[in-house]
Amino acid sequence: MNAPERSGKGEVRRLATYCYQCVAGPDLLQVKVADGVATEVEPNFGACDVHPGGGKVCVKAYGLVQKTYNPNRVLTPMKRTNPKKGRDEDPGFVPISWDEALDTIAAKLRAIRETGLLDESGYPRVAASFGGGGTPQSYMGTFPAFLAAWGPVDMGFGSGQGVKCYHSEHLFGEYWHRGFTVSPDTPLCNYVISCGANVEASGGVVGVWRHANARARGMKRVQVEPHLSVTGACSAEWVPIRPKTDAAFLYALIHVMLHEAKRERLDLPFLAQHTASPYLVGAHGFYLRDPATGKPLLWDRRRGAAVPFDTPDTDPALEGAFHADAVEIGPDRDELARGRLAGEPAFAKLVAHIAPYSPEWAAAICDVPAATMRRVANEFLDHAQVGATIEIEGRTLPFRPVAVSLGKTVTNGWGGFECCWARTVLATLVGGLEVPGGTLGTTVRLNRPLSERLASAKPGPDGFLLPPLNPTDKAHWSPRPNIRNAYRSMVPLAADGPWSQALGPTHFSWMFLDGTPEGLPKVTPPEVWFVYRTNPAISFWDTPAVVERMARFPFVVAFAYTRDETNHAADILLPDATDLESLQLIRIGGSKYVEQFWEREGFALRQPAVAPRGEARDFTDIATELARRTGLLDKYNAAINKGAGGVPLKGERWDHSLAPDRVYSRDEIWDRVCRAASAELSDGAESHGLDWWKAHGLATKPFARTDWYLFPTMVKQGLRFELPYQERLWRVGQELGRRLHEHGMRWWDKQLAEYQPLPKWKDFPGEWERAMVAQGGSAEAYPFWLLTARSMQYSWGANAGVQLVKEVADNLTGHKGVVINAGTAARLGIADGDLVEIATPQRAVRARAQVRQGIRPDTLLLVGQFGHWATPHAKDFGMPSLNTLATMSLELTDATGSGADIVRVRLARVAA
Amino acid sequence: MTRWAMTVDLRRCVGCQTCTAACRTANATPPGVQWRRVLDMEVGEYPEVRRAFVPVGCMHCDDPPCMHVCPSTATRKRADGIVTIDYDLCIGCAYCALACPYQARYRADEPRYAYGEPTPPEEARLDRGRLGVATKCTFCVERIDAGLAAGKTPGVDPEATPACVNSCISQALQFGDLDDPQGKVAGLLATHRHFRMHEELGTGPGVYYLWDRADG
Amino acid sequence: MKPPTEFGPRPWQQTSWDARAATNFILGGTGTGLLVAAACFFAPQAGWRVLAALGLVSVAGGLGAVWFELGRPWRFANVALNPRTSWMTREAYASGFVFAFGAAAVATGAAWPAWLAALAALAFVYCQSRMLRAAKGIPAWRVRELTPFIVTTGLAEGTGLALALAPALAGGAPRWVGAFFLAVVVGRIGAWLAYLGAASRHAAPRARAGLEAAGRHVVVLGTVIPVVAAAVAFALPAVAAVALALGGLAALAAGWRAKHAIVLRAGFNQGFALPALPVRGAR
Repeated sequence: MNAPERSGKGEVRRLATYCYQCVAGPDLLQVKVADGVATEVEPNFGACDVHPGGGKVCVKAYGLVQKTYNPNRVLTPMKRTNPKKGRDEDPGFVPISWDEALDTIAAKLRAIRETGLLDESGYPRVAASFGGGGTPQSYMGTFPAFLAAWGPVDMGFGSGQGVKCYHSEHLFGEYWHRGFTVSPDTPLCNYVISCGANVEASGGVVGVWRHANARARGMKRVQVEPHLSVTGACSAEWVPIRPKTDAAFLYALIHVMLHEAKRERLDLPFLAQHTASPYLVGAHGFYLRDPATGKPLLWDRRRGAAVPFDTPDTDPALEGAFHADAVEIGPDRDELARGRLAGEPAFAKLVAHIAPYSPEWAAAICDVPAATMRRVANEFLDHAQVGATIEIEGRTLPFRPVAVSLGKTVTNGWGGFECCWARTVLATLVGGLEVPGGTLGTTVRLNRPLSERLASAKPGPDGFLLPPLNPTDKAHWSPRPNIRNAYRSMVPLAADGPWSQALGPTHFSWMFLDGTPEGLPKVTPPEVWFVYRTNPAISFWDTPAVVERMARFPFVVAFAYTRDETNHAADILLPDATDLESLQLIRIGGSKYVEQFWEREGFALRQPAVAPRGEARDFTDIATELARRTGLLDKYNAAINKGAGGVPLKGERWDHSLAPDRVYSRDEIWDRVCRAASAELSDGAESHGLDWWKAHGLATKPFARTDWYLFPTMVKQGLRFELPYQERLWRVGQELGRRLHEHGMRWWDKQLAEYQPLPKWKDFPGEWERAMVAQGGSAEAYPFWLLTARSMQYSWGANAGVQLVKEVADNLTGHKGVVINAGTAARLGIADGDLVEIATPQRAVRARAQVRQGIRPDTLLLVGQFGHWATPHAKDFGMPSLNTLATMSLELTDATGSGADIVRVRLARVAA
Repeated sequence: MTRWAMTVDLRRCVGCQTCTAACRTANATPPGVQWRRVLDMEVGEYPEVRRAFVPVGCMHCDDPPCMHVCPSTATRKRADGIVTIDYDLCIGCAYCALACPYQARYRADEPRYAYGEPTPPEEARLDRGRLGVATKCTFCVERIDAGLAAGKTPGVDPEATPACVNSCISQALQFGDLDDPQGKVAGLLATHRHFRMHEELGTGPGVYYLWDRADG
Repeated sequence: MKPPTEFGPRPWQQTSWDARAATNFILGGTGTGLLVAAACFFAPQAGWRVLAALGLVSVAGGLGAVWFELGRPWRFANVALNPRTSWMTREAYASGFVFAFGAAAVATGAAWPAWLAALAALAFVYCQSRMLRAAKGIPAWRVRELTPFIVTTGLAEGTGLALALAPALAGGAPRWVGAFFLAVVVGRIGAWLAYLGAASRHAAPRARAGLEAAGRHVVVLGTVIPVVAAAVAFALPAVAAVALALGGLAALAAGWRAKHAIVLRAGFNQGFALPALPVRGAR
């Protein structure tokens, strides 16, 4: 792989490396280097049998050469000379030496250590924001070790989380089936209902690869979405649904399955044995429990009696009304009833709950014909093959080749919970959750261990997975959060795992700077804020407000590729060596984000293909120097030893640990990490160093395909999926309400209403219409729904300044303006290419009209996240962003702490 | 005989432009010169509308109009079907660009760089011989020839395969010998329904668009 | 030649040839007509050599303009390498004969080189029409009805220009030049209408609109005015020269306008179209 070849001009080398510029990675590639200059990116065909996307990389990776040589890069450390901050202030950056830059930062940090790591509100004085759905971690070398050595750091200043992610899916997916992201088992699935999921844009190489194969094989995908996205384009059918009404659509499908289809078409054994469907629900909405053991009861038709759920050899009833000697336990362990209690199976509750939600009911809400919904529901059932099995790696497993996938704005904000619940219920009704062909979780981020999804599935109470909930009981709940976004206090489902800080209501950190609501300690600006590979001034919602707030931060350290809208507020710019210039080893394989299901697992190396430009430095060297200068070297090395570099350096049969007091070079550190990775892969038999990894690029071992599915683990552990009834959340919500009210906190009451055992349809689009009224507008005056959609060419890539990316992305609709329905445009006298204004009562942006047929007449689409005003090259695009118009607000925050990418706007042609 | 040809599976293409970008870097074409690109097409009216992504470029026609009009004989057709341009012969009259029904041809008169001034790779790869003359997709003919010389099979071995095909993440693009009945391209054409762009013009394009299974 | 600012799938105006190339068709046709008129109608009348020389200048001017459009102008001689299939090469050869015989005629004042020059000029303008038709990428150009129009407009323009210049340079025009002029003007409008009909069946709507706009000039400026002028000339010999001169200029202007439109307004390509849509997944 590294063997040099001679070209006509000189030496040509091909170096293996990885691309993890989007959450759907990592993917593997080769960089062609001629005479020390990176010239081309190519797939790594040597890894085509390892990587589930044929060893290929997507368009973003082809921009890496330009990214490296972009003349707009920041190539020396710089400091701000204008103490005033704000969009209209010129920062007056001047070059400084690395020594000056690092000394300045270290002095700030040492001063903080002397005064205390937490401020008077109890919040960390140091904060850090990284964007890209966790991808920056694959580029920041050993910086996590520095952060670990430091102590408490507030990672909860959002840069996109909550509105740009799949928030309810993350939280509920992990809760129900360890699915931080949820995917169809595409290689086996035959029928997918895709509500706004944009896998062709956000599924990366592997997503595109798998779905293309599935389409050619004959998989039918029905895309339910207000505009004809690239994924809609590649689907068998497009259903143009009214924005934010997907829950009604999904409820109607459940209605057809429960009230129109014959019962035996459902997977009744799965419901009875592998879900909470037979658990008896009492008068107060809580499970009837065995008075002796506290275990939920079910009605055993074989015995004709109520028995604890884990009684062997039962034939549980799913419908009917029963009486049992039981106890009903409410919030805070309150005993609500005891004795001979009446109860109904949870499934029967579901059937009754869903009765009003017929396709005819939904048609009026969704603007989708009832017949379409009825047909889709029946096609789903037809394709489900209830009762079928499949043999995988010698094991016989249920085979249910149907799935429902959900998109960003569908799973975010109000209605997100209902959609996630309905999707997962649809899967359970046909026994299609976590089985071959069905709906699968791919990875975990809130539960541990991060790299082993199945191992994270630990037994919890009541026969369910251990719920990763933050405490709501009086003894453990606290109104003094650990970080500013208060996820531990406000969002039980956000858990307290590795990524929880970033999955709380991350806009609270920004919002509450202007007034902290009652009960929480006053939210303060962090004294030092590290920013890397993120641009919240562009990527968050309500970006003008974010820009204004970050201007108040006293000391901002930005690892800067080019100048941008966020580092406009920086005090120090540090040029880090970029993708093709720096060194890191990461884990690959297993099952990762989105659609990355591998049959191998192991490690891949990102190696310097070329020397860093200018004075750019490898992130590991920067982290080491910061650790040394702040007196944290021993803790930093210890963190690396513990695994902050991705691999613990010491195992049962190997020890490549760093000495605590020594300064190691980048190559020395990663040589140790490489050796530990080799040892982990070979159970200690090998200890290949950095040179071996540079030559080979990656190393893997088999990952069982059966490990894509959680179902066998659930069966092995005797666990049930906590569906369809949400008794625990019903309790948790009430407990949280009590805690908040005990502290005078009434501002979360609307969100508390979301804790329901069976979620009701509410007028979700109305939330945004009412918000418009609150802003001084009206639904009639602002008649359009402005939406956004991911751009595959840009999403997560921090590559808006790369010319090649802009050039090729412009070949696709939506990259040069706002997409408008042709009929609407004609009605408003707007022609393709005309300048139009999109406005809320507060703000307005301008864009060129892209007049198309593939969008609802009441919907406008602004693809991607542009609106740059500082980033070189990107600031000349003339493309606005929905983020400029969206406003952060408590009213538009759902119970999980997320909002959605949707705004009511008006539209008018700008007079020439 | 050998007839190099490409198949484009329209069912698979997602319009990601990876091939466009791969071609731009593999062939070091200047900004805006996209020998391979993917069109974003809409057919029908709301709500009965379909959207398709259509990779286009030089079709390496059997009977290339560009070759016939070329006054300098710079444009030629090889026995294996690849339409080539002799940059040393071309006068840059752009007549071929008008004769091509697929808008596959470009002429850049001055060096153009991504950011105004040349970056090191742009400087290293600038070929002044390609200024002021017609350029277009070559099916990466140098790779094919070098690959064949090294005993590789175009369309099978990446070293001998066009960069766009190598890069394609949906496996929509395939390449091979049309005259090899056992080959990939012939096999795909036998098992799929397909068309060629502007077939009515009689140019005999060497790029085939698959749109359904033959038994569909 | 700049990279296109738009690229399909709908047809868009070609950017490969700009006004310089259009000038070649404009001046080439006019020069052709002028040479034909000078050789056939004015020779051996005084001043015919001036008209013939102006015809040569016009053709040369057109070729000079297009030379400036070449990406590699100093390789212009390579234009001669493909007489087998390229109408551009053939145009170049024809231009060689035009200049050789035309120069001989102008230099010697002999009639036979003038007639040969006129023949070569007709071949030249025919080549120009075939050049456009061979541009298979442009639906409005690739129709066979274009040839009669390009040839007749060249003759109409050249004759018209000759009529306009005759009073000053040739002491007036022979009476039957007017008849010929009338004939080619009428022939041209017939050719134009046939061409417009054929082109409209294939060209993009915006190309059609470009042609139709120019067509109004071909009708009024290029046909009605010259016909009226010819009628006036026949009816009122006293003002015949002025009438024919004005009619000639009108015919010339209309021809230029039409060719400008053909190259720069109707030069829309075919775009891209799908005869079948992909079947994605199950039907």
